[in-house]
This record gives sequence, structure tokens and C-alpha cells, in this order.
Amino acid sequence: MKKRNSNLTAAMFLLPYGILFTVFVLIPVFYGFFVSLHKWHILSTAPQFVGLTNYRDILSDDLFRVAFLRTAYFVVMTAPLGNMLSLLLAVGLMQDFKGTPVYKVAFYMPVVMTVSVVAVMWRWLYSTEFGMLNYYLGCFAHFGHAVVPGLVSAQSAHIPWLSNPGTAMPAIALMSIWWGAGGNMLIYLAGLKAVPRELLEAAEVDGAGPLQRFWAVTWPMLRPTTLFCMVMSVISASQVFGQTYMLTGGGPYYSTLTVVLYMYQQGFGLYQLGYASAVAYVLFVAVFMFTLLQFKLLAVKR
Amino acid sequence: MAFVVCGCGRNGESTRAAGPVDVVFWNGFTGPDGTTMERIVRSFNHDHPNIRVKMQIIPWATYYDKLTLGLAYGGAPDVFILHVNRFPEYAYYNSLNCTDDLVAKGGLDANDFVQVAWKAGLWHGKRYAVPLDCHPIGLYYNVDLFKKAGIVDQNGNALPPVNLAEFLQDAKKLTKDTNGDGRPDQWGFAFTWLRTNSYTFLGQFGTGLLDKDFRRADINSSQAKKAMGLMADLVTKYKVCPSPEGQDAWMGFQTGKVAMAMEGVYMLASLEDQKGLNFAGAVCPMFGKKHAVWAGSHLMVMPRSITSEKRKAAWEFITYLSDHSIEWAKGGQVPVRKSILDSAEFKKLPVQYQFSKELPYVVYEPPVVPYNQIVPFADAAFEAVLMHVKPANDALDECARRVDKVMNRQ
Amino acid sequence: MSKGKGRKRAISAGSIIAQVAMILGAIIMVAPILWMISTSLKQPTAVLTPQPHWVPNPPTLENFAGLFTKSEEFPVVRWFINSLFISCTVTLLVLLVTSTAAYAFARLQFKGREVLFMVVVATMIIPGQVILIPVFLIVQKLGWFNTYLGLIIPGLASAFGVFLLRQFFMTIPVELEEAAYVDGAGPFTVYSRVILPVAKPALATLAIFTFIGAWNEFVWPLIITNDISMRTLPVGLMIFQGRYSLEYGTVMAAAVLCSLPMVVAFLIFQKRITEGIALTGIKG
Repeated sequence: MKKRNSNLTAAMFLLPYGILFTVFVLIPVFYGFFVSLHKWHILSTAPQFVGLTNYRDILSDDLFRVAFLRTAYFVVMTAPLGNMLSLLLAVGLMQDFKGTPVYKVAFYMPVVMTVSVVAVMWRWLYSTEFGMLNYYLGCFAHFGHAVVPGLVSAQSAHIPWLSNPGTAMPAIALMSIWWGAGGNMLIYLAGLKAVPRELLEAAEVDGAGPLQRFWAVTWPMLRPTTLFCMVMSVISASQVFGQTYMLTGGGPYYSTLTVVLYMYQQGFGLYQLGYASAVAYVLFVAVFMFTLLQFKLLAVKR
Repeated sequence: MAFVVCGCGRNGESTRAAGPVDVVFWNGFTGPDGTTMERIVRSFNHDHPNIRVKMQIIPWATYYDKLTLGLAYGGAPDVFILHVNRFPEYAYYNSLNCTDDLVAKGGLDANDFVQVAWKAGLWHGKRYAVPLDCHPIGLYYNVDLFKKAGIVDQNGNALPPVNLAEFLQDAKKLTKDTNGDGRPDQWGFAFTWLRTNSYTFLGQFGTGLLDKDFRRADINSSQAKKAMGLMADLVTKYKVCPSPEGQDAWMGFQTGKVAMAMEGVYMLASLEDQKGLNFAGAVCPMFGKKHAVWAGSHLMVMPRSITSEKRKAAWEFITYLSDHSIEWAKGGQVPVRKSILDSAEFKKLPVQYQFSKELPYVVYEPPVVPYNQIVPFADAAFEAVLMHVKPANDALDECARRVDKVMNRQ
Repeated sequence: MSKGKGRKRAISAGSIIAQVAMILGAIIMVAPILWMISTSLKQPTAVLTPQPHWVPNPPTLENFAGLFTKSEEFPVVRWFINSLFISCTVTLLVLLVTSTAAYAFARLQFKGREVLFMVVVATMIIPGQVILIPVFLIVQKLGWFNTYLGLIIPGLASAFGVFLLRQFFMTIPVELEEAAYVDGAGPFTVYSRVILPVAKPALATLAIFTFIGAWNEFVWPLIITNDISMRTLPVGLMIFQGRYSLEYGTVMAAAVLCSLPMVVAFLIFQKRITEGIALTGIKG
């Protein structure tokens, strides 16, 4: 291997990425913190340095508290359930039934949709009067009549999913689980495929049934994958924005206000860039600490 | 003529352009308003061959974001509309062009303006905006329903209520359960936009979102709680008004299911299209201790950094709009030029003329710099009280707390 | 619990239940998408019915045609072209920029290599929102607000791309490169003639992920564009929906238009995508 001029060569190879990385990733991390120390309105030509005032205001801001709790609620609703669903789907794919390639495509299809398509699609599904979801729920309630179509037309369940403070966030959570399940499914699938077949066959020989084999062999070997997926799910869920922005705008009555949405409203709705930047950093610290916690709890113990 | 030196106005040299001067005009007048404004712009362009006004209509929902980003980072228009309550923020951050010198040179007579609107264009004593209109809410009422219920004067004309007692009396007569299913299908009254209705009630009880100095929240004062309580009572106690939740109250009025509604003069076009609806306008009844109604205003402004050549042209356009605000009024607005208000042509516009009688006691929302930050708290509180999401006192106290937090940060 | 293809599959009740579950699951997953397509093909009067009809009767393309007649206020075609142009450009540039950096990290020796790589990887856990506002201000200072440059350049420093490619490059047998060096090739030739061709699978995977990611970007185009003609399709769809919110047929047509390229790309490249995950070595 050529070692001559290797530093210079390396520099040339690294230069394009390095410049982009420094300007658009590295510097912003510190610049953003700098901005958060100012009272910085979009129109102001001379932002005012205020030290940690923004942070102090955030911690005493009850709307931020609401956003934080709603985000935590969303994370708790989507990360564990979503991962369980992803794992279940992956296990199903591992069975290698006829039609598995079709199943794989079907399960992953939602992932390639952009958030506005998903939001638009589900807004229609959740429509109180004409939504498909309410219709089938109504069918459920009128089960007998629905089995014989035309006998009695089933009534829509008329649940105002997105305009009722109690159902709005669960509705968004359900939609988000649908949207993301396929992504983690592929990762779990890769993890499942990596489980050495010999171990499973040995367990089978020892008389273990499928469920026992799963718990004794597969699940422990899946630990790193599970940890990775849970951590990424939590990080991703804590940043939920597009869904709440498009479907409910944080309403009704702040029931779907999430931290990133709050940050966007502060920064680009109320033009307070300094305050919004501080919100972002508080979220970052919270998520980071929670991630460390997850590592402690879920990391592989040997 | 005294030339007022205010340290404002452009000093740059203007170069004579070869063709007409382009003036980019932004506003949020979608729908029929837009059509009216388009007509006025066309006639201006026709009368002024050396100026070409290019209008861009941006729906209000995204208007201010686009405007702010344009002002900050490039791409701002030459003339744009600001609502009166958003004006302080833009004035505070020095984004607007001072027009004292232009007013002093003539072209607009300050004495011809309705003072409350004219004063609204001032910031720290200097003028940055010219009001185009004042749009209060007023009482729309269904003439046929009134006549059917026998609420008429001695000539048999429908007689709208002027105070709380008459209002309740009339509304009760007009709330009917015509198909016997136990629920009224005709209502005497319905709340349309909660914000405007609530500010009206609050104003009539001598209070508002902020106190008289615009420093602290007043929305949880005893008077405010009385005002909001009365509004809630219309639904629950007097039962003359449906719960606002999930209601399209305006559609109810349009289809003759609601007899009275308090809405803006700008909603006129949507009623004129409604075939078979026999409606009229009147001043809002006095529910509280004094006369007061919510009003908004559209202000015409120029950005601070406008070139001197465009400034001249833009100012011509602004004065033209004001001078011809009778055309704007025809679309469903109340002009703020006294000469136009007194004209026979304006008095022929039935609803606009009636609503214009409220001008002496219109109330704007608090003209404070952080208005945009506090108005969502107020909206949420109004919703919470009238839709029973929270106990009224809690909602108002919570709103006051949040508003005070923002006001204290200023 | 995998069973080899050669073994006889025991037909157990559990297996049947599992297969039924899979079919139901697939139907439920795809149902919303099918419903969206179905609605987009319905006549406007047939959309709001109390009972959902899955098959439009009669099917019509008028909702799609309607998208183009509204194009003065909502330039759907321009949005589509914007998204296409930006996604292609971003993909190409990301491949270029991350592959050179990944090659440096994988194969070139230099001071601080491990530390720098750690720094790059560490940024993968920083939520995008943290740098949203500072990047916004930087882009504005560069004069790129509301421009294609502003839409394309900031997202190019993909740490994921560098990570993915470096992992892959490290699996390439060293002998291939050494042979080239022996033949007198310089590092750049080795990179372009030896590494890149061999890395085609990884590059293709990164390309498709990057393309889909760039197309689906929502927040960044939302804040960095101000003119309606500069919007990308996802943001445009949101604006469109704001105006036509109750005309579900039209809105679904716009949504179908927005998602069609991604679905097509996915169907064509699904193997790359589904197998690409394994390349990242994430499972371990």
C-alpha cells in the first residue's frame, strides 16, 4: 500500500465530504447552540444575547411541558408496539410461506411514502362522516348485519378521530405504526437470518417447541438488533413532526402538540429562532439521556 | 407646506426607468375579495400607464410566513397588506417604510380618515401604514324568519334586537323544534368565529384579552368571566344557540337554519350568492355594559428597503386604493374615509352602511408586538369555554397565565 | 425457526393460522394505499358515500386531469420536476462525496483516521431538528434561500452513506487493490477502476435509499423555499391539501402522483432495498 503522500491523498479524498460536513453538520451543531443563547427574531437585524434565559423560559413554559409529555406519550405508544409488529412481521417472513416476496413488498410499501402522502391518506381514512375506518368499526358493531350486505346498511361509528382531544394522538400513533413497521421489519429479518441454524436445530432435537426455541435461542441472539431498533425508534419517534403538523396542527386543544412541532411553531410561526433553537437542544439532551438509559437497560450482558 | 423630517424615506437616487415601474402587491384576499381587488388593480393599471401593479394573492394561512421570510431574506413585495394586529410586530423590527413625508406632501387628508383606523398606522408617533378599511362584525339576521316569528316593527319590517333583553326574547322565539325530535332544528343564534364574537362580548363588559395599558392579561378578570359566562349561557342556560363543536354555524345561517349570527362585513359576498336567503344587517346588540364590537383593519404598507422610484409608484397605488375604497366596500368592507362613508353611493350598500354605524365603538385586538404569540392562547381559551373542554374559570386563568408569561418576556 | 426448502413442510394448525395472519396483515397494510388509489379514480360525486365502494364505478381520470388545470396556483408539474431534479442531483452528488470519503476511511492511512470516522458516525444520532435552524441561517447567509442550491447542498453530508460504504469497502479483498498498485496505479485510479466497480451493489443500495430519502424530504424544503414554484412535491401536496381539503378525490389524485415514483422505484429496486439492510451490518 502506498504510504507516500498518504496524508495529502487522504485530504483530497476527504475534501468534498469534509467541507460539506463541516459547514452543514459540524458548525451548525455549535452555531445552533449559539443561536439559542439569543433573543433572535427572524426580522431582527441585531439579535440580543440573553445567555441561558431561553432555557430557563422553556423549563417554566407549561406549553413546552405539554409538548414534552405528548411526545413522550407518542413515543411510548409507537416504539414498543411498532417494534413488536415489525418483529412479528419479520418472523412471519422467515416462515418462507408461498407468497413471501409479495408479503415483503406489501409490508414495506408504506415506508416509501412521504409523510404528506401518509397524512393526506389517513386524514381521509379518519374522516368522521365518510372515513373508511369509522365505517368498518360500525360494521363491527353491527356484525351480523354486515355479514349479509344489503340487509341493513351498517352505520359509521362516527368517531371524530382527529377532532377529539382523547382520540387524536392515538389516531396519529396508529398511523405512524402503520407507516414505520416495514422499516424495522427488514432489520429484524436480517437479524433473524443471522441466527445460526445449528443452534435452532439443536434446540429442536432437544425437544423444544417453536415458541421455546424462539425464547431460548432466537431472542437472546436478537438482542443487539432489538437494542438498535428500539433506540432508533425512540429517537425517530421523539422527532415526530410531519404527522402532527399536517393532520392536526397540534390540536385539538394541544392534545397532539409535539416538541418538534412546538419548535417549528416557535421558530417559523412566531419567528423566534433563538427560543426554537433552545427547544431543539433541550429535546436533544432529553433523547440522548434516554438513549443512554436504554443502552444500560437493554445492552447485551455477557 | 411643512416637510416633516422624520429620518425616514429613501434618499437614494432614482434612475428613470424606460418602461412602466413594476409594483409588486401582496395580499391574502382569496375568493370574492380577490376578485374585487383584481378589478380595482386593473382599473389602476389602466389609469396609470407608467405604473404596473402586479398582484399576488397568498392565502392568509401562509401569507405571513411567506411575507416575513421574504422581508428577512429577500423577495419582499413593494406594497403589502398587514392586519392591524400584526402591524406592531413588523413596525417594531423595523421592516416597514415610514410614510410621514409622503402624507405631509398631500395626497391623503388625515382629517378625512376615521381616527381609530388612522391612528392604527402609527408606531411610536411615526406613520408606517395607511388603513384601507375597517371590518367590524355585525348582526346578520334572517328577515323571513323574523317576520314569521312576528318580530317586526310598526311597518311590518323585521326588527333586530338592540340589547340583551330583546336579544334573548327574539332568540327564544326563533329557536324551534319543527320536526318534533326533541332537538331544535332552527336556532335563534349561533356562534360563528369564536374569536370575534368573544372579543365583542369582552369589549362590551369593559374588558379584553389585555388590560387598558396592553401590559397584563385581563381575560380572567371578573368582568371577562361574566362575559364568557354569558356566552356559554346562551348555549346551556337560555338554549338559544347550539354548541359550537362541530357546527358550521355560518352554513346554518346561509341555509336558513339559524336566524341571527354575528359575523364580519367581509362575509357579505357568501350570503349574496345564497339564493332565497332574505337577510339584512344591523349593529350588534349590546349584551353588556357598553357598546363595543370586534373589528379588524387591513393596512397598506411598504417595506423599509423599497427603492425611491418604486416608492413613488407604490404610494400612488396606495392613495388610489384609499380614494377608491368605495369599490372595495362594495365587495363587503367598510371604508375608513369619512367622505366615502358620507356618500350616497356608500349609503346605498345596505349591510355595509349598517355595520359602519359601529365605527365609533369598534375594538381592535391588542396591538402589541407579541400579538401573534398570545392570540393562540386566547383562541384556545374561547374554544375551551364554549365547547366545555375545560371549566371556564380554569381555561381563562390558564390563558391569562400563559399570556402574562409572554408579556413579561418582552 | 427457519425451515429449509428441502424439508417437507408439516401442515399444522399453527402454520395455517400464521399464513392467514400474513394474508390479513398484508391486506391491512396495503388497504389504505388501495383506498387512496380508488378514491383518486372516482368521480367527485361518488367520493362521499356512507358506504365505501372499493371499485370506482365508473372509474375516471378527471381528478388527475384536474391537477393540471389548477396549475397556475398549484404548479404540480413544476413540483414534480423540482423533486425529480433535486432527488437525482442529490443522489449523484451523495454517491460521489461519500464514496471518496468512505474510501479514505477504509483504505487510506492518515493521521486521525479513526477519530474522524467516529466523529462522523457520532453525528448520526444527532436529531436533524437540532441543526435545522442553524443550517437555515447559514444557507440564508450564503444567499441560497429559496434556490435549488439551498435545497440540494445542505443534505449532501450523509453520515449514513459514509458509514455504509466504508463498511462495504472494508470487505473488498485487499489483493485487488494491491495488484493495481503494483501495476503502477495511483490512489484515484484504484478508487475509480477497482473499488467502485466492485462496490456496485452497495452504491446501488445507497443510491436508492438516498433517492427515496431526498424525494420524501419534507421539513427542509418546507422552510427553505418561499416561492410556490420552488416547492417540492411533498410540500406542494400539503399546500394543495390545504386548499382542496374537502375535495378528497382531487387530493388523493395529488397524493397518488406524489407517491407513484417512489412506489415504482421501490418495486423495481426492492431487492436492493430489502437486501441492502444486511450490507450495513446493523444487525450486529
